[in-house]
Amino acid sequence: MMRDPDGVGESEYGECMDVVRFYLRLRNGRVAEARFQTYGCGPTIAASSAATELVCGRPLEEVRDMAAARVEKALDGLPEDRAHAAQVVAAAVRAAAADALGRRGRREDGEAVCLSR
Amino acid sequence: MNRRVYLDHNASTPVHPEVVRAMLPYFEERFGNPSSVHDFGREAREGLDTAREQVAGFLEVGKDEIVFTSGGTESDNLAVKGVAAARGRGHIVTSQIEHHAVLRTCQSLEGQGFGVTYVPVDEHGMVDPDDVRRALRADTILVSIMHANSEVGTIQPAQEIGRVTRERGIPFHVDGVQTFGKVPIDLEAFGIDLLSFSSHKIYGPKGVAGLYIRKGTRMVSIQHGGDHERRRRAGTENVAAIVGFGQAVEVRARDMHEEAVRVVALRDRLWDGIVARVPEVRLNGHPIRRLPGTCNMCFRNVESESIVLGLDLKGIGVSAGSACTSGNVEPSYVLVGMGVPLDWAMGSVRCSLGRGTAAEDIDYVIESVEPLVAKLRDLSPVRA
Repeated sequence: MMRDPDGVGESEYGECMDVVRFYLRLRNGRVAEARFQTYGCGPTIAASSAATELVCGRPLEEVRDMAAARVEKALDGLPEDRAHAAQVVAAAVRAAAADALGRRGRREDGEAVCLSR
Repeated sequence: MNRRVYLDHNASTPVHPEVVRAMLPYFEERFGNPSSVHDFGREAREGLDTAREQVAGFLEVGKDEIVFTSGGTESDNLAVKGVAAARGRGHIVTSQIEHHAVLRTCQSLEGQGFGVTYVPVDEHGMVDPDDVRRALRADTILVSIMHANSEVGTIQPAQEIGRVTRERGIPFHVDGVQTFGKVPIDLEAFGIDLLSFSSHKIYGPKGVAGLYIRKGTRMVSIQHGGDHERRRRAGTENVAAIVGFGQAVEVRARDMHEEAVRVVALRDRLWDGIVARVPEVRLNGHPIRRLPGTCNMCFRNVESESIVLGLDLKGIGVSAGSACTSGNVEPSYVLVGMGVPLDWAMGSVRCSLGRGTAAEDIDYVIESVEPLVAKLRDLSPVRA
């Protein structure tokens, strides 16, 4: 979990009941810290952890386009029947980045934003 | 380096040193084919005959009523398909929580036109003999109900079910793979006509098992070839493994009762320790009529595999109740059949103790489970 994250994203993989929630803290448009909460099998937890390292220091725009293949590569590959682990994590990462971009956009427009969830 | 604790004895067991010693001569010295006429063959044949006597003696049946197979799965297939093929058509009664070796064999027979009724189980995983009685039809040719379930350990009322089948003259097959050599099986009192039993669950080698076939039971072979096993199962016998199996049975005859008492105490120590420390955990299976060493637990809102892997990192081997294959997680069909809710069933873990399990091992497991489950729950966005 993260207090007052700059972006939060969640993704589910229904067939497996995996749920991933990804949190981002930003500094100067880049990811300064990333955390996760995951319910799921071993590979999904491992992929979540790997993703937090993968995104650190990256520009937000790049994180918004995070592909499952990159997450899988960070794990040195996944068995074919566990490929969903990378997919569900990448989706949560992209959702968190999109949320952060959305909040940034609203701030630039001068709207009030609630930063904590 | 972590200590290593093996708590998966329902999956397989280490081979007993006495068994290894008994097997060794049959690799390099007494290597003949038991069907060969010469002395080399006769030496191997003697080993085979002795093993058969050991197994038959343990079950108190005739030597010619024991068939050696390659495993519990083959024994189950031979029993169910062998009876079905002898009759050509008909109806089979089994339970919803049988091992896949029986379930998938029955499903395969359904595809060939046989009828099958899968009787349900209660919340403890227990079959009701009256459900079996009610399921019987005029064309029922076989009842197949396991003696104990490998996942939750519940021991079925075989004697009561056997009474039902005997009344109707219907053959009764029992998959005894998890009970043979662990709890007493009285074939006569239980009215059992076919019993599957296995070596590697009782400190014997893998790749060998047996099927007891009561004299007079109508069935045919499903593996054709030579005249081995009195034409009931063709194929050159795995002599060394069969010799090992026979020795494992001898050892069991000696150790079974004492080990059951010891292991029950350790199993209860494990459960008592975990339930005292970990919130939202439940025990599956019958509280009393259960295999001595089996402790199947559900941890609510924690995923099975993550617990198994977390314990594996601590050197502890247990088994998960759910399996993630091809991107689908299926909760255990046994727990589903028992009516366990999904948020519990997804977090099931089976511990099965054995002769090598010590009290210190149990304490180490308890100490490891508590922080692991707490961490996984903390890590999870899913709350009760």
